[in-house]
Amino acid sequence: MQKRDYLGAIVAGIALIGTGIALFQGHPAVAQAQESAAVFTSDGKLQIPTGFRKWVFVGAPLTPNGLNNGQANFPEFHDVYIQAKNVDAYMKTGQFPEGTVIVKELTRLLNPTFPDGSRTEPSGRGFFNGAFNGIDLTVKDSKRFAKTNGWGFFTFGHHPLPYEKTAAEAPAAVCANCHMANVAKTDMTWIQFYPLLLNRTTEAGWDTPQSR
Amino acid sequence: MRMMSKSLIAGACLLTTVALSQTHSRSGPVFTKDGDLVLPTGFREWVFMGGPITPNSLNGGEAPFPEFHDVYIERENLRYYQHQGYFPEGTVLVKELVLTQKGKHPDGSLDSASGRGYFPSELHGMDVMVKDSKRFANTNKWGFFTFGHRAPPYSPSARVMSVAQCASCHIAGVAKTDMVWVQYYPLLHVKLQ
Repeated sequence: MQKRDYLGAIVAGIALIGTGIALFQGHPAVAQAQESAAVFTSDGKLQIPTGFRKWVFVGAPLTPNGLNNGQANFPEFHDVYIQAKNVDAYMKTGQFPEGTVIVKELTRLLNPTFPDGSRTEPSGRGFFNGAFNGIDLTVKDSKRFAKTNGWGFFTFGHHPLPYEKTAAEAPAAVCANCHMANVAKTDMTWIQFYPLLLNRTTEAGWDTPQSR
Repeated sequence: MRMMSKSLIAGACLLTTVALSQTHSRSGPVFTKDGDLVLPTGFREWVFMGGPITPNSLNGGEAPFPEFHDVYIERENLRYYQHQGYFPEGTVLVKELVLTQKGKHPDGSLDSASGRGYFPSELHGMDVMVKDSKRFANTNKWGFFTFGHRAPPYSPSARVMSVAQCASCHIAGVAKTDMVWVQYYPLLHVKLQ
């Protein structure tokens, strides 16, 4: 009986401290939103991030449908965006901070004329951006996604605008497994496709926060 | 009364000066005294508009612009275009070239975990266009510059290119869309969410 009272006092004390910290920091949900672009619903779905086209573009691999039996896994340009503060951190440490969101927006090819999907324009034969075609993204949260090496994977659809508003975590077999098999050593990210992040030099035209 | 209006005007001028200097510090082209364009900085925090790719392997081994063309624009100029359908004076468009990873296929493409395609490897140069209807009246309001087609560091400044090298192709191809290949940039012509 005495022991239970003792435990009760501890629980009450922890609750009081917790409330105090929350009050001191302001609204906890707002504080979290400022730190990470990842906002989860009460049932653990991720909300589609806004404003990502103002983030830093780091590269755009291209897997044309025409070179992938008519249906690439990610059709077709993969435009990848990361918030500037997380690029800063990566340039400094070679690791992405907790809460980092990496957005990959797909765009289709503009009116292909060759079987590979290319066409001829005044600048040469090649591949040109067409319509927006979907969003996949990853979030770094080492607690929430401990089973998949600290990153969670989501898709908001592979189709033209509008995209889905929320997404549940994709099963490991759909996304995380391939990242773990290939890029576990580079923070689950295909750094080799993003010259800015690969070089990590100011020569690449990245202004340090101090020089801005 | 006259005193008051004078000080009001002075105040307004001061505010304008502050506003102009603030704008200038973040955006717009910078020219040297002999008219060369200074290499733009901070463009990686501008908005990415699109990245056409003309692989060397599909262009006789040497594309005119090798190979990815990553195009950046400042946000306020993008917004202006989305409302007006043309770019404001002082707009700078940066095109950074990026080479592709060398693949085994004859077309230069590479087999990767995400499929067969083209993947960026090394930064490889910068071309820039600037809208200034007085300075570049002869070339439909836009001046064209290259800071080299090679790995960084790029040239710190560049002289305006001859009409034959850049402007004539834009005049022939896209004079009606403010000299920009807007058809390659979905952000410019898609209704946003």
